[in-house]
Order: sequence, then C-alpha cells, then structure tokens
Amino acid sequence: MPSLSYREKTLYASLLAELLLYGTFLVLHGQGTLNQVAGIIAAIILAQVAVQGVIAALTRNRTTDERDKLIELRGYRTGYVTLAFLMVLGLGMLWFHAAIGHLNLDSRRIGLHFLNVFFGMLVISDITKTIAQIVSYRRAL
Amino acid sequence: MPSIRNQIKELRAARNLTQQELADQVGVTRQTVIAMELDKYSPSLETAFKVARALGVPLEQCFQYEPRGKR
Repeated sequence: MPSLSYREKTLYASLLAELLLYGTFLVLHGQGTLNQVAGIIAAIILAQVAVQGVIAALTRNRTTDERDKLIELRGYRTGYVTLAFLMVLGLGMLWFHAAIGHLNLDSRRIGLHFLNVFFGMLVISDITKTIAQIVSYRRAL
Repeated sequence: MPSIRNQIKELRAARNLTQQELADQVGVTRQTVIAMELDKYSPSLETAFKVARALGVPLEQCFQYEPRGKR
C-alpha cells in the first residue's frame, strides 16, 4: 500500500481486526458465556497490539504530523457522539422495558446481557471512529 | 475548501523537489504535502513557515488568503 501513510495503514488494520472479532462476538452473543465474551475482549486487544506491531515493523517511515492529529481528533469526536447516542438510546430502551414490565433483573443472564450491550456500544463507537478517520484521510482531510 | 491557497506545487516543481523530499524537510507526511497542494488542507502557521523556508520563499509568496466567495 505505497500511497497510504503509516497512520492510514494502522487504521485499516484496526478496522479489519474490529470487524473480524466483533463478527465473532455477534455469533457468540446470546449463546456465549461470560468467559467467552471476556475472551473476545482480550482477543481484540491482543490482535490490535499484534497487528500494530507488524505494521510498525514493516513501515520504514513512521512520521505522524499535525494533520494526523487533527484527523485523530475528528475521529474521537465522531466516536464520542456515537457512544453518547447509543448510551441515551440504551438507557431509553432500558426505561421502556422496565416501564412495561419486561425487564427481569432477577434473571441469571442479566449481567451477561448488560455486558454484551455495553461492549457492543463501545465496539460500534470505536468502529465509527475508525471509519470517520479513514474517510477524512481519503478526502485528504 | 479552505480559503487559504498556495503555490507549493509550482514552487516545488521549479526546485525539482519531490513531494517526499519536501515532506522530509518540513517534517510532515507525503500525504499532507499532497493534501496541501490540492488545497484540501490548510497547515498550521508553524508548518506554513517551514514549507516557505524549505522552498526558499517568503510566506506570502507561498500562501495566499482568499476570503470565501472571492475566487
């Protein structure tokens, strides 16, 4: 990928890792145990570290500049707005289900369910952040 | 589109500098030089001064401010 900067390469790698592992997470959603979900979270972190390490080793020019920082900030802003929106949506749904009596807090799987939902929110906002950064790079900013 | 335009491409070509060579002198990525040449990115004042210095011209010869709607 000769026309991509170091930051762009890491972004594409991050997106790929997020999509692959979140796909696995979605398959396990609802049928996985707490340990499996925790394993996926750990796998995402380890895969990210490994991929970033490989890219750093293969890229000679690892210069980052003010434009990279600006694009990174834009990405974080997009990710934050997405996370805030999902949190409000999630809280609204929680309130709605509680109001109509569908929320069973005594269920044994309620902890796993909440973990899935909050982890999903984090991953979606992270993917949104990464995509926003890639779009900014492709538009030149 | 930023309201700051520049002559980086013309000045660079006149000095037989590649985008990578200019980027190395200024301390930015080649992609940032490309973005500046396409008028898609307005650099910080510090980077603008570095670019002008690398090209050996005064800042105002390299960058021009054109308020929106006056092009």
